[in-house]
Amino acid sequence: MIKKSQRKLNIGFSLVMVLFFLLLLQISPRLAWLFVLSLALGFTLQKSRLCFAASFRDPWLVGSTKLTEALIIILLICIPGFAIVYHFFTVCNIPIALNVTPFGIHTFIGGILFGIGMVLAGGCASGTLMRVGEGFAMQMIALVGLIIGAFLGKVSLPYWLQIFHEFPAVFLPNIMGWVPAVITQLLILLLIWQLIRRWQRKRKELT
Amino acid sequence: MATYYLDIWGEMCPIPIIKTQRKLKELKCGDTLVLETDHSCTSRALVVWAQEHGHKVKEEEVANGIWRIELTKMR
Repeated sequence: MIKKSQRKLNIGFSLVMVLFFLLLLQISPRLAWLFVLSLALGFTLQKSRLCFAASFRDPWLVGSTKLTEALIIILLICIPGFAIVYHFFTVCNIPIALNVTPFGIHTFIGGILFGIGMVLAGGCASGTLMRVGEGFAMQMIALVGLIIGAFLGKVSLPYWLQIFHEFPAVFLPNIMGWVPAVITQLLILLLIWQLIRRWQRKRKELT
Repeated sequence: MATYYLDIWGEMCPIPIIKTQRKLKELKCGDTLVLETDHSCTSRALVVWAQEHGHKVKEEEVANGIWRIELTKMR
């Protein structure tokens, strides 16, 4: 077992990606930039070894909370970023659609189902995709399941929306205003962080 | 100072860590456990887990996509 240099593969892959980007640019610029964004996302995900499945699973199973803290940092960056983007868009009069959906009992049921699948498959949607790219064979089976599930979900979405749409949609910024809403969310996140740190200390004493 | 080997080929997190936890209970202090895996996240997770629990750990990518971890039980 000798570690071979992968430089040739690297250069070849980069070249194909650039050519594909140029091709997409001819068809539609929007698609091309989405392609660049998804490449960047995938690269970051692979290099950072971030795993959403592990961030929810590890505190319970192995008592490690490193990834959970990483996830909280992501949300800490995301929430003000979301508010800034929204304000920037409204100031510049660019129409923006916020995909805010009502929260209810169905969120819990869906979350539990997704969580069971996620732990069994060894990764959430992005994690599975990233590891298929890395060449981990077992997750290719999970990818087939993921594609079937995503397709079924897409087809049956109007039906679910019809059933669960009577839940009142709560959008915090509409009730409290943007600044208090963002601050409240950040405070809640910091509280969760403290709880997780305490949880880790407790687990460490046990083992 | 015995050396043990644990088979975790093709396993996904968190199975390797749980298997390691169980195996480590049988080991004495100073014994070494050798693990080989083809899952990048598993090797990372094992290293982080071992460091958090105060074990000595050495990680090496021996071939493209294959990681060898030598874990020495310290406590």
